[in-house]
Amino acid sequence: MSMILVEHLRKEFSYYRKATGLKGSLHNLFRREALVKEAVRDVSFSVEKGEMIALLGPNGAGKTTTLKMLSGILYPTAGKVEVGGFIPWERKDAFKRRISIVMGQKNQLWWDLPASDSFYLNKCIFGVEDSVYRQVVEELADLLDVRELMNVQVRRLSLGERMKMEILAALIHRPEILFLDEPTIGLDILSQQRIREFLKEYNEKSQTTVILTSHNMADVKALCRRAVIINQGQLVYDGSLSDVNRVLGDRRLLSVKLSEPVKAESLRRFGRVREQEETRAVLELSGSRVRETIGAMFAELPVEDFTVTEVPLEESISIFYRKEAAMP
Amino acid sequence: MKKLCHYLRLLGVFAKFSLMSVLEYRINFFAGMLAEMGWMAVKLLYVAIVYRTGASIGLLTADHILLFIGTYVLMTGFFMLYFGNLASLPGMVQQGELDLYLVKPVSLQFLVTLRRLDFPFFIPNLIAGSVMIVTGWRRAGLPVTWAAVLGFLFFLACGCLLAYSLFLLPYLLAFWTVSVGGIGDLTAALWDFNNMPQLIYNKWIQRIGTFLLPVFVITNFPGLFVMGELPPGMMLWGMGVSVLFFFLSRLVFQRALKRYSSASS
Repeated sequence: MSMILVEHLRKEFSYYRKATGLKGSLHNLFRREALVKEAVRDVSFSVEKGEMIALLGPNGAGKTTTLKMLSGILYPTAGKVEVGGFIPWERKDAFKRRISIVMGQKNQLWWDLPASDSFYLNKCIFGVEDSVYRQVVEELADLLDVRELMNVQVRRLSLGERMKMEILAALIHRPEILFLDEPTIGLDILSQQRIREFLKEYNEKSQTTVILTSHNMADVKALCRRAVIINQGQLVYDGSLSDVNRVLGDRRLLSVKLSEPVKAESLRRFGRVREQEETRAVLELSGSRVRETIGAMFAELPVEDFTVTEVPLEESISIFYRKEAAMP
Repeated sequence: MKKLCHYLRLLGVFAKFSLMSVLEYRINFFAGMLAEMGWMAVKLLYVAIVYRTGASIGLLTADHILLFIGTYVLMTGFFMLYFGNLASLPGMVQQGELDLYLVKPVSLQFLVTLRRLDFPFFIPNLIAGSVMIVTGWRRAGLPVTWAAVLGFLFFLACGCLLAYSLFLLPYLLAFWTVSVGGIGDLTAALWDFNNMPQLIYNKWIQRIGTFLLPVFVITNFPGLFVMGELPPGMMLWGMGVSVLFFFLSRLVFQRALKRYSSASS
């Protein structure tokens, strides 16, 4: 059975249009034109127990809105959602005990107190037993490497340290399902890496089901095998990360080193020239043509060396971001 | 009952953490106390004037008035204890800060309205209010019996519940209008109507303040009870209106939450 099941999920917001300037404001005081924005339209997917998937999409695609509906913060306009066997927006206590959400832009820690106090508050709120609580905190503090920082006021911590504490606070009640909304936003590379390692290890150990949204492809590549991509509120891709490129025509990058410079025209015959300078060039071509192209190039050009790589994931995904909709 | 214990325990943790937080900034802590004492000095000025002029209003001697003002000061202390939470509610709605509270298995209204408790404002009012009440009570020669004391405390508790419910309502409007600055000022003015006993006002104002916008119930009923000036019907009203407004605040809060959950992004 799926841990998370989403079917035809839809969310609309109404808002007002306002013309610029005072005139527009005065006009709005008396008559407002109500408009409807479809933040999420007809999104369906499911997540298995223990799976860690990435929910991707450009800004404003509806990722956060979707996560908020899955965690019961928002009511949907239409559609069906089941998370751990519960309907999230009924907000049953039993449901809340099974999930947790971490948002990179929001915090739950008490600013002026050490993080350990906020952990204790969560322990009280969730009614976690003393022995379990001590064990969980010790274990997570070691994994996140924050043992010495637990008794430092949160306001004195760096952004990266604070994020680790936020994650720890969200895991005190040992949720089975975890929603992570941009957990590494604004963090330096080292902190990002540390949090990634932690999440990977934690997911493997505890078999927690995780949905992660991030604009950081390094997070996604390190943690998730599967991605759900939405754009303008609609699902545009649901499948393995390694297939993203294949779906888009399996494009490869062929980098060649030449013994002497050649004319651009002579390179263009083999594929789209993406870069060329002196004796180096990068060509883009379809995966099925790699073999014959290399053979032909060796015969016709002074090729010294070459490498073939897939188009970077970032680039493939950005193609989905630009697409209007429709799954290929 | 188990649930009540759970909530009381949480309230204890909130109180402890609030005190710890505020003690992090010593100067601010004392400044807050000092500011609150300044406000209290203004209230004491009323008392001074009452005693100077030897004024009495109907049944009320200066000592009775001291008791009523003391009740008002004490109530202000209790109100200030959580008022900061109410005032920050519109901002939280605007910034979407309720999100992380919504996923906690505890009443959201409880979390949002009682999470921070302002002790620098509470302590001076608690001390001064208690002293004034005890002094006024004794000097006025009011009975010191179990019935009188328990009745006083009971109506004090009703007043606390009513104050919480009544003054939460305007801030809940924020869920619909987002900004409620003006309404906040208006309610503050309403609160100050109580700085003198209700008996100084004319009959119509007294009726409005007792039945329509029951602010007088909050600080006058405990004193009136001790004086034996609270008829049984009014006693019932004092209890009933507190419970009524509490459930009203619960109802409006639920509605407001529904609004938050379906309208924000």
